[in-house]
Amino acid sequence: MAGLNDMNKQEKIKAIEEMIQIVLLRIPKEIEAMHFYIKAAEKSTTDEAKNLFIALAQQEKGHEAELRRILNDLKQQLMELKNG
Amino acid sequence: MKREDVKEFNGENGKPAYIIFKGKVYDVTESRLWKNGKHMGRHKAGGDMTDFISMAPHDEKVLDKVKYVCDIEEDIPKEDPKEKWRNLYRRYHPHPIFIHFPMGVLYFGVFMLFLFLIFKISEFERTAYYALLFGGTSVFPAVITGLMSWYINYDRTLTEIFKNKIIYSSFLILLVINAVVARVLSGNQEEGNLWFYIYAISYLLAIPVMTFVAYNGGRITWPD
Repeated sequence: MAGLNDMNKQEKIKAIEEMIQIVLLRIPKEIEAMHFYIKAAEKSTTDEAKNLFIALAQQEKGHEAELRRILNDLKQQLMELKNG
Repeated sequence: MKREDVKEFNGENGKPAYIIFKGKVYDVTESRLWKNGKHMGRHKAGGDMTDFISMAPHDEKVLDKVKYVCDIEEDIPKEDPKEKWRNLYRRYHPHPIFIHFPMGVLYFGVFMLFLFLIFKISEFERTAYYALLFGGTSVFPAVITGLMSWYINYDRTLTEIFKNKIIYSSFLILLVINAVVARVLSGNQEEGNLWFYIYAISYLLAIPVMTFVAYNGGRITWPD
């Protein structure tokens, strides 16, 4: 599979736009999963289950934060490519 | 130190590198893992690392090895203004509700139109027209809630899927309006009436266009 460095400008723009779409569509799913685990933690009847769900919710929050960071980087790259 | 002030300590050009974690500021300038204010080529000094810890291969005890600077002042977490709307949207999910009206009713209407074209029974055509009026009107709340979702959940980022949805929804609205206007101008004369043909063709064309919009919606729910 060709890396970004092997592509011409138009191919790079297309590849980054596709990546933006992939990352963008995932973010609400992570938020949804986080809310699901928070609700599950609230409904948990044992401390063990509660802690597990809280840990899972934190992981989803981490995924969301990481995806937003990647999304911002990709948007920046795209802007530089289009303006450059 | 305020959250905004920490951003200045980004470790670039010889500046100290500070990070925020759970409302506290830490100095990571001396850490070999934070060279020039960058950690693992991903995280930048000056930012809040709290949400990233669950993704890290280490726990928060690593912060015992770096210098604590101070607590963040007046650190009232800034609420994302969209969060309230996001919660409402999550609870009531209006777009998936509203899209089913045009989907169901316009398909039904075209089926009635087909029956009319085959059997020439005017009741079928009238039913198709009423379905067009209701189904066509219901395109508007579907589009409006779709735009809401795009704004709330996707920050109006224009990707291929959203471009498709916006362009083809607009086309769908034009087809529906065209069909209604042509039907009105046809004056209930079906045979050999140009307006009636325009009505029927617009109505039939609305189906693949609407299906393509729905297909792109499906790509959001079930990404490739």
